[in-house]
Amino acid sequence: MKEPKIIEYDALVIGAGIAGGETALNLANTGYKVLLVEKDHSLGGKMILLSKVFPTLDCAACITTPKVSEIARHKNITVFTESEVTNISKESANNFVAQITKKPRYVHVDDCTACQLCEQACPVSVQDEYQYGLIGRKAAYIPFSIANPKAAVIDIENCTLCGACERVCPTQCIDFTMETEYYELHTKTVVLATGFTLFDPIEIPRYGYGRYKNVITSMQMEREIAPTRPYNTILRPGDGKVPDRIAYVLCAGSRDNTVGNPNCSQICCMYSIKQAQLLMGALPMADITIYYINIRSFGKGFEEFYQQAKSMGVEFVKGKIGEITEKDNGDLILRYEDINEGVVKEAEHDMAVLSVGVRSNPTIGKIFNNGALKFDPLNFVAQEDLMGSPSKTSIKGVFVAGTATGPMDIPDSILSAGSAASEAISYLTQHQEV
Amino acid sequence: MKERIGVYICHCGGNISDYVDVEKVRQAVQDDEGVVLAKTTVFACSDSNQTDMVNDIKEHNLDGVIVSSCSPKLHLTTFRDVTERGELNKYTYVHANIREQVSWAHSDDKIGATEKAIHVVKAAIAKSRYAKPLYPNQFEAEKTIAVIGAGIAGLKAAISLSDKNSNVVLIEKENRVGGHTATWGSLFMTDERGSELIDRIYSDLSQRENVFILTGSEVISSKGSIGNFTLKIRKKPQIAGDPVETMEINVGSIVVATGFEHYSPEEGEFAFAQNEAVITLPNFKQLVDESSGKVLEYNGKKIKNIAYVYCVGSRQTEGENKYCSRYCCTSVIHTAIETKKKFKGIQNIHLNRGIRTYGKQELLYAESLQMGDLYLQFNDDTPPEIRNEGKKTVVTVKDILSAGRELEMEVDLVVLVTGMVPRKDQSIGKMLKLPKGRDKFYNEVHMKLRPVETVIDGITIAGTCQGPKNISESVNSALSAATKSFSYVSKGTLETEPIVAEVDHEVCSWCGKCAEACPFDAIEKQEVNGKEVAVINTSVCKGCGMCTPVCPVDAIDLIGYTSEEMKSMIEVLA
Amino acid sequence: MTQSFNKNAKILVFSTEKISDPAIDMAGLMKLHYPPTVYTITVPCSSGIKPSWIMHAYEKGFDGVFIAADGTDCVFGETCTQKTGNVVSMAHDQMKEKEIDPARLRMAAICSVCSEAFVKQVRSFNDYLIKTLHAE
Repeated sequence: MKEPKIIEYDALVIGAGIAGGETALNLANTGYKVLLVEKDHSLGGKMILLSKVFPTLDCAACITTPKVSEIARHKNITVFTESEVTNISKESANNFVAQITKKPRYVHVDDCTACQLCEQACPVSVQDEYQYGLIGRKAAYIPFSIANPKAAVIDIENCTLCGACERVCPTQCIDFTMETEYYELHTKTVVLATGFTLFDPIEIPRYGYGRYKNVITSMQMEREIAPTRPYNTILRPGDGKVPDRIAYVLCAGSRDNTVGNPNCSQICCMYSIKQAQLLMGALPMADITIYYINIRSFGKGFEEFYQQAKSMGVEFVKGKIGEITEKDNGDLILRYEDINEGVVKEAEHDMAVLSVGVRSNPTIGKIFNNGALKFDPLNFVAQEDLMGSPSKTSIKGVFVAGTATGPMDIPDSILSAGSAASEAISYLTQHQEV
Repeated sequence: MKERIGVYICHCGGNISDYVDVEKVRQAVQDDEGVVLAKTTVFACSDSNQTDMVNDIKEHNLDGVIVSSCSPKLHLTTFRDVTERGELNKYTYVHANIREQVSWAHSDDKIGATEKAIHVVKAAIAKSRYAKPLYPNQFEAEKTIAVIGAGIAGLKAAISLSDKNSNVVLIEKENRVGGHTATWGSLFMTDERGSELIDRIYSDLSQRENVFILTGSEVISSKGSIGNFTLKIRKKPQIAGDPVETMEINVGSIVVATGFEHYSPEEGEFAFAQNEAVITLPNFKQLVDESSGKVLEYNGKKIKNIAYVYCVGSRQTEGENKYCSRYCCTSVIHTAIETKKKFKGIQNIHLNRGIRTYGKQELLYAESLQMGDLYLQFNDDTPPEIRNEGKKTVVTVKDILSAGRELEMEVDLVVLVTGMVPRKDQSIGKMLKLPKGRDKFYNEVHMKLRPVETVIDGITIAGTCQGPKNISESVNSALSAATKSFSYVSKGTLETEPIVAEVDHEVCSWCGKCAEACPFDAIEKQEVNGKEVAVINTSVCKGCGMCTPVCPVDAIDLIGYTSEEMKSMIEVLA
Repeated sequence: MTQSFNKNAKILVFSTEKISDPAIDMAGLMKLHYPPTVYTITVPCSSGIKPSWIMHAYEKGFDGVFIAADGTDCVFGETCTQKTGNVVSMAHDQMKEKEIDPARLRMAAICSVCSEAFVKQVRSFNDYLIKTLHAE
């Protein structure tokens, strides 16, 4: 390993999703120098990949793209993409030392014009993780059309080093000699905004995800209805048919001890209702059925949004799905207990969307020396003073923003980020060097 | 007159282009007088398009820029900043709203929407031809911040500001701080008592030198604007008979944290105020908290079977209060469990409309089920009925969880799970001109982009005055609001909006009508070149334009809204 | 001209930046439809509208002018309602001189969330204008 390069910032923010971005902006606008570290290739986290957002149906991109653009351009914010914080030790009240690994992108971002010639030239096709596997991408690729930075990436795992991309690149920005860089950061405060992971429904075999092509996750549906969507229309992946009967299976991986998650994921009811409304607009003839246990439309304007979906004709069935089976033609049979009538019923649908829940992000587990950072039983970052200072963690000077503490919708994540930034600014003010 | 205008027409990833033929709009405006560049773009606000715009401004030597996209409330500042990065004065930027007011409003009529979009963009071009570079003045901002309301949100906002070395005036109407939180017993999920939580925050706050706490005090008037608000405060006498004290304070920003009220059921609503055994959730919480002994008693009667009727005053299908009050499910289940643990023989029966213990609060619901609490669910159109049979209280409910079976039960106590409603006393909101949302709580500018800001510059909203929240959500909102208010004034200087009135001194022959119309006393009589004319004090003028229609000789215009500009826009739209 | 442009009246709306324009935006957000021949010009405050602009609109071919006034919510002070009223009466005087039906100018206070009220108002105004101006 090479000697790390020593760098210094007032604050380290880990994670550049909507919560981390908001925290960084708040700190930077107050005059502090911020290092924003993101493991992915783009800013914007999960929100930038969404279609529209509840309960106003604003387009997600319309909120995130200008925000990430502001972050990327801010004179007080430095962004490290493809980077991970591997270790943090607290030396004194206002001296945290963090080790950061910045992986090579094999593309000089400043020179790349995102012309996509490398993408066309690349002979390797793999599944596109930004489209949640719905379509493929190349090994030399632009992550997605509104990514920031908008520049090519070489997926070195799958690259055959054939050199085709290098030959067509008009700006010679592709560089296979790039190496992993190591940094040692000295900073006065740390904000964790590492977000959440989505439940992988492969853990519930009776839903058939992974076996039945027309059983998809809500994130895949989100991509199907997003403006930067893969098919440019809504269709079921099995045979490309435009679906007429779409089912939503709520609480997939939530409120379910059998998969180790007794929590309610807090967002699935609302995003499913939102998708249902968008689908009613895109496919006016389609029947949308939402199978639910309880509808949790608790936030500002949420209940009204739920009632609006009902009046649009979305069907709500109080019932938990027991099993999904596939017919020869790819149609699905959903077996469920109709809670209102107390009987087991079956219904046929063209497509089933599993409304997958929120899981903790395991990557921050061991960053801090001596296990000083505490977690709750489901591995979300523990809040030391939930009522008085929700963004304080077990380590003084380390704060937490957004879904790293548990499920949260976008408005709540943004308020939580405002709160974490507020605590961090206070900490910086109180721990100024004399 | 602008001669080199660049026009950008945004698809908004389909939000506009699904209903408006953006290419047709582009073609319709590209040859307009002064337009040298007309482009469509998938996302005008994206980083790559912003960079393109900056390059275009320089490369094509543009002197005016127009983006036709969403409402200016979202991204006017975004594009003003882009214009500035292109080294053009940001006030030469003109915005055209073709989403909220065209593509979405007319999504039922694509041809009509396209036609309207063309007119709207052409009107923006007309306005752009007149748009002048403007230069804001700097003025000194008062760095003290006022926080109105000393509940949990107000207290935490004050601490947060004090921590940032800001002076804070915390104003509370009641004689004590802590609001509703101080009245709660044990809190879910920490088991700390509400009063303990408030005590520890207050004892920290009360020691701080930069925080002035005014209890028993009301704001009775407000003057001024961001950077310089003057609040008049009336403080009730501490000792009866002492004179009422009034004082004035100058602050740069205001955090409004005036909180909520418990919904108060009407007489006869679920037998409230008619049957003694019917009480509200806050009263029940107090009863449980204050009672001791082995058995719970109310009005001298032993309590065993308790029915909780959910969503009283929330999720109403008719009239007001259509919203969910968010905290009540968790609050009542928590109290029901406490009651069962504290007293003997308690049976809890929850008559609900779907339990909303979101997130980690779900664990509480699971615990309650495990402890044997009974959950029955009713539909909004068949609410439970409560009647007296002699001395007994009987509840009937149609339980949809058992195929709509009608169940009847005798209970000792009925708890109406009342939700949160906005404060009846709206004087602060009226005084500060805060807009209210459809739920009648104060409204933020944008739930995701500017969640604690109001349309009134310099005033933020924190906690439940913006909508139902639990304690930690209120605190997050309070800290966000405090940071925002802090950022307004922390630099000590602010810029005035350069949109002010302008008098044509050639035409003006002082009559005083404009000065009479001005609500800010910004117009004075002065002698200019040997002639008495009206002169605008630009540091006081707020740019409302009230003076402009009253001038008998049409000598006053508002910059950016001159008759020339307005008439040229009207011509294009017609 | 398209069909929708023929069957509807042409209405110019004066909205205000902080109060009524947000309501008109929200009408769009909620997809509450109204005729696409309704155009909006935004001003800081409804009491700053000059009667000459209103007259100019009729001259150039607008069938109606609708002032989406701040009402008592005005951020610039209490006097807005009365002053906006004065603007309307000045315009009415000028309309009388030119023999323009005074009902072709309407005013209503539109609060920042009064989207439904706005749409109702412009629709009924549209109906009135079609009946009186475009009757066959």
